[in-house]
Amino acid sequence: MQLKGGLAWAIAAVLVVSAAPARAQVAEFDTSHTVFYEAPTKTHMLVYSPSADLKATPWTWLEVAAGWQADVVSGASVATKAGPTYQSNHPAADVVTTASVRDLRNLGHGELTARGETTSLTAGYAYSTEHDYRSNSLFVNARTDVLQHNTQFELSYARNFDSVCDRVQGETNPVRFVALEDSTGCFTANPLRTTHDIGIDTYEASWGQSWTPVVETQLTYTAQLVDGFQSDPYRSVILGEGLKGQEHEPNDRAREAVTARLAWYLRALKAALRFTVRGYNDTWAIRSGTVEAEFEKSLGESFRVMARGRFYRQSGAVFWSDDYTGGGPPLGPKGQYWTGDRELSPFWSWLAGVRAVWTLTPARGRLLGVLESLQLVGSGNLTGFSYDEYTLGGTPVSGALAYVVTLSLSAAF
Amino acid sequence: MRTPIGSTAGKARAWLAWLLPLTLAGCATVAPQQRSILADPTMRFDAQAAHEAALRHALDNREGSMGGHGVSGGGCGCN
Repeated sequence: MQLKGGLAWAIAAVLVVSAAPARAQVAEFDTSHTVFYEAPTKTHMLVYSPSADLKATPWTWLEVAAGWQADVVSGASVATKAGPTYQSNHPAADVVTTASVRDLRNLGHGELTARGETTSLTAGYAYSTEHDYRSNSLFVNARTDVLQHNTQFELSYARNFDSVCDRVQGETNPVRFVALEDSTGCFTANPLRTTHDIGIDTYEASWGQSWTPVVETQLTYTAQLVDGFQSDPYRSVILGEGLKGQEHEPNDRAREAVTARLAWYLRALKAALRFTVRGYNDTWAIRSGTVEAEFEKSLGESFRVMARGRFYRQSGAVFWSDDYTGGGPPLGPKGQYWTGDRELSPFWSWLAGVRAVWTLTPARGRLLGVLESLQLVGSGNLTGFSYDEYTLGGTPVSGALAYVVTLSLSAAF
Repeated sequence: MRTPIGSTAGKARAWLAWLLPLTLAGCATVAPQQRSILADPTMRFDAQAAHEAALRHALDNREGSMGGHGVSGGGCGCN
């Protein structure tokens, strides 16, 4: 209800502002639809993500935007994680269990942007709900162009006030905490449910630079401080003989990343090459590197196609272990924390994808009498993951492929 | 060995991080009439940012990293 109310206010604000006498009126409607599917061993995950955004520019100095997006999730996730040592001692038992997952995330957001000749200021708010998660997010952004638009500086900050549902624990020792069975009773007065707060501060500074008429770069620094419950409340990890504890990760995490981008136009091919390199580091001792290359070519005035490749490599968190019950390194207990999260294990991944953009802009007049332009975008991406240590009871994860297909439509009025 | 942000070396590094872009930026001159290619959508890093958002969200939730694509957003959506 709160979400519906927020959305209604945001849409009303757009309509009221749009209804004012227009000086440089442009309104833009975007809708996007993504299907994500992956099926590594024992789990299947299907996520459909629709979104709709409306943007209006009632005056040249003001832009108002509001939107909605959702994730409709169905599939299964690993509910109890065990490793090879425990499995070898219990060969007859299926020590890894999965649980079905059904969830719906709804997110509504609104933004105001004030523009000057060379600067812009944006402030926004987003609210989202899931069965077991609530999020309020405030963000601001300042951007300026200097030196004849050859240099752009941008500063951004976002603050999330989130909360996650959990089970009320009857024990005080985390090794005896029981995982949340399901989201029934979350965010109600149910005495068996509680919530944990999560505060997230994200900072970003960016420098964009045009070096020549065909070369542009961007350097971005991102930092994030996370304070609060970060475990998966549904997941348990086998810690010893007859001992299964809810996943227990540190409450604090400081993260930082440096991203460098280069765009280089190849006149002979009438195409652009874009490269991205990112280095990441955090206080959980995860370090990662990402390399991405994109090649995009225009085919005529209204059509362009892009192909991309991406490689990613990360180390594991300092408390990551594929089996906390024992075994030779890198297995064995890792201090006071434990996780069954494959995203915290060492692995590498690759991604290959294509994208096509078709833009229709009439030379004179409007399409169908109302549209300034129409754009259709379609993309397909395939990504694969190779885990160095993560197993399901000693069985390596096979077929860890994910498919991401997105279709978008954008209409300007 | 990381340098503490409050130390002298840390402060020097922070100043350098601010001054370097300004110094280097002054060396680059692309005249307004030479900017047509730079304005082409193929040269923009975020030309299809809204279209790519779902892919970035999926990757962020399958990897232990983040960063480089803006700060806005909300919710977990981390299944």
